[in-house]
Amino acid sequence: METLNFLATGFSVALAPLNLMLVLVGCFVGTLIGSLPGIGPINGVAILLPLAYAMGFPPESALILLAGVYYGAEYGGRISSILLNVPGDAGAIMTTLDGYPMSKRGEGGRALALSAVSSFAGSMGALLMMVVSAPLLSQFAIQFGPTEYVWLMVFAFTCLATMVGSRPVKTMVGVMIGLLLATVGVDSGTGVLRFTLGIPNFFDGVDFLVVVIGLFAISEVLALLEQWARNDFVITPVGKSFVSVADLLAVKWVVLRSTVIGFLIGVLPGTGASIASAVAYGTEKRIAEGDDEQFGKGDIRGLAAPEAANNASAAGSMVPMLTLGIPGSGTTAILLGALMMFNITPGPLLFEQQPEIAWGLIASMFIGNIALLVMNLPMIGLFVRLLSIRQAYLVPVIVMLTFVGIYSIHGDSFDLFFMVVLGVFGFLLRKLHFSLAPVILGLVLGEVLEENLRRALSISGGDWGILFNGPMAYTLAGATAAALLVPSLWRWYKKSGPRTVVTGAPLAEDD
Amino acid sequence: MYDRILAGALLLLSGLVAWAALSLDVPFQYEPLGPKAFPVILAALLAIAACWLMYRPGKNDWHPNAAVLAKLAAGLCLMVTYAVLFEPVGFIIATFVVGSLFSWLFGETPLRAGSYALVMSLSSYFLLKELLQLNVPAGVLIGG
Repeated sequence: METLNFLATGFSVALAPLNLMLVLVGCFVGTLIGSLPGIGPINGVAILLPLAYAMGFPPESALILLAGVYYGAEYGGRISSILLNVPGDAGAIMTTLDGYPMSKRGEGGRALALSAVSSFAGSMGALLMMVVSAPLLSQFAIQFGPTEYVWLMVFAFTCLATMVGSRPVKTMVGVMIGLLLATVGVDSGTGVLRFTLGIPNFFDGVDFLVVVIGLFAISEVLALLEQWARNDFVITPVGKSFVSVADLLAVKWVVLRSTVIGFLIGVLPGTGASIASAVAYGTEKRIAEGDDEQFGKGDIRGLAAPEAANNASAAGSMVPMLTLGIPGSGTTAILLGALMMFNITPGPLLFEQQPEIAWGLIASMFIGNIALLVMNLPMIGLFVRLLSIRQAYLVPVIVMLTFVGIYSIHGDSFDLFFMVVLGVFGFLLRKLHFSLAPVILGLVLGEVLEENLRRALSISGGDWGILFNGPMAYTLAGATAAALLVPSLWRWYKKSGPRTVVTGAPLAEDD
Repeated sequence: MYDRILAGALLLLSGLVAWAALSLDVPFQYEPLGPKAFPVILAALLAIAACWLMYRPGKNDWHPNAAVLAKLAAGLCLMVTYAVLFEPVGFIIATFVVGSLFSWLFGETPLRAGSYALVMSLSSYFLLKELLQLNVPAGVLIGG
């Protein structure tokens, strides 16, 4: 009952004219960004964040806009997967497997419509799970002290290291770089300046936005430049086919299962849409065993599963971000950083003290998903036409928006140079198969981690034993150990057993 | 190979961080850990990871040819130029120059790249400045 009251509050926030407009704009821009090959949700959110900040929106409105871009991009990613065989973002890699064959045999319209409905069902299902689980989790998390928070973050980083990226050690390096970047600037406890190199711009820390835009957007421009030579896509025609009721009934259990899988993987810290869609696809293929010869050749189940899962994971990854202050994916790390810029600390108290933010966001996601379904069924032709925008016209706009966005924060050219330097650094890291999401996660969580560690040791008077004290600490330490060991045991088991998993796709990318 | 170079740089970085953290001058401190411990722990973990990377580097599959490298260098130069011009010269001229060169770099003919960039810089200036009221440097053209 209480939940319904809060949800009503949320809808009153989300239906305010400004917020309603922003959710529609966010969803539209998100679909557009998701559908353009190469520019995924993380870049879209990164490019728009400084603009939203500079325009002086209230925090809940900025969050509603940026979240709209995030889950809108999960819808849009499928369009280029299906029509071009090029995933629009990392979460849409699995969608190419069955989506592209369908469009090649002239069923592009059917594939787009079916995947739109699956995306919608996945999002809505995950949202309902979010409404139920987020308040419970936040009530549970309210008892957490600094020790538990330290463990929670260590757990998040461990999950990230063992499950995302090409190699755990590279993810760990990324996290350490992010955490170290977070220590730059004046120390809140003692007022001592750390690692500022004497540069005044670093005195109150490395600017989060500059790092995000540099690492993601600027390095993306360099990557686009490198790939440009082989960038002559052929768009397969959409055709007149459309999804039928029989199709929808045939995939209803697939969608339901994939939604649950996607949501759970989304909630898990560090893992996002690319893993969720891969696991959902693999599960469905295994369940369909004996009847699975069409998978990879245009099976509607193979199309519905990853789409439901990647959208569900987008909603799922918001749960730990809002309730614990620990982001579930790279993009939610940016959303978390956005909230912190507005001096809002996400965490268990957010739901009670600032219900308009948490519940306003949740309510706006219901509205946004309905809007997205409308945009993606009747208006799909518009996005298909936008796919053929040439990079020669797109890249100048991206570069311009990043520069304007960063300059408008402080009005200082120093930030622009620092952003370009970080962009080169990010590009080199990408070329060496480091994923960049861990850096952002480390940067966002660094200050909170250090603060909690220092608070925990203040309580114990300097005794590190406090980290191993109490049932919650043990549970989280156990979960960390499990996250450390289970994936390698699983890999070892798979090597000895028959190989059934289909996912050869790289799961390293940032989503 | 590149992994090893990076690992070496990271090892150096972790040493510098640890040294800088330990030589911090902390005049007063109310809690047991202080500002030094956390960076030192991070530096130690980074050093361990870097050593592991040095011992077992990944295979390098990035082999850019001269043309790609030239393109990347050109893109980088353009962005640095943009950063240099942005404030003193102003948004409109800087965006026109850099935008047309970027468009040209991505294969557009010079004339069309130039006219596209002109339209883009003028229209986005008024959109960003007047409509969204962002802090966009006017520069020499409008005399801001």
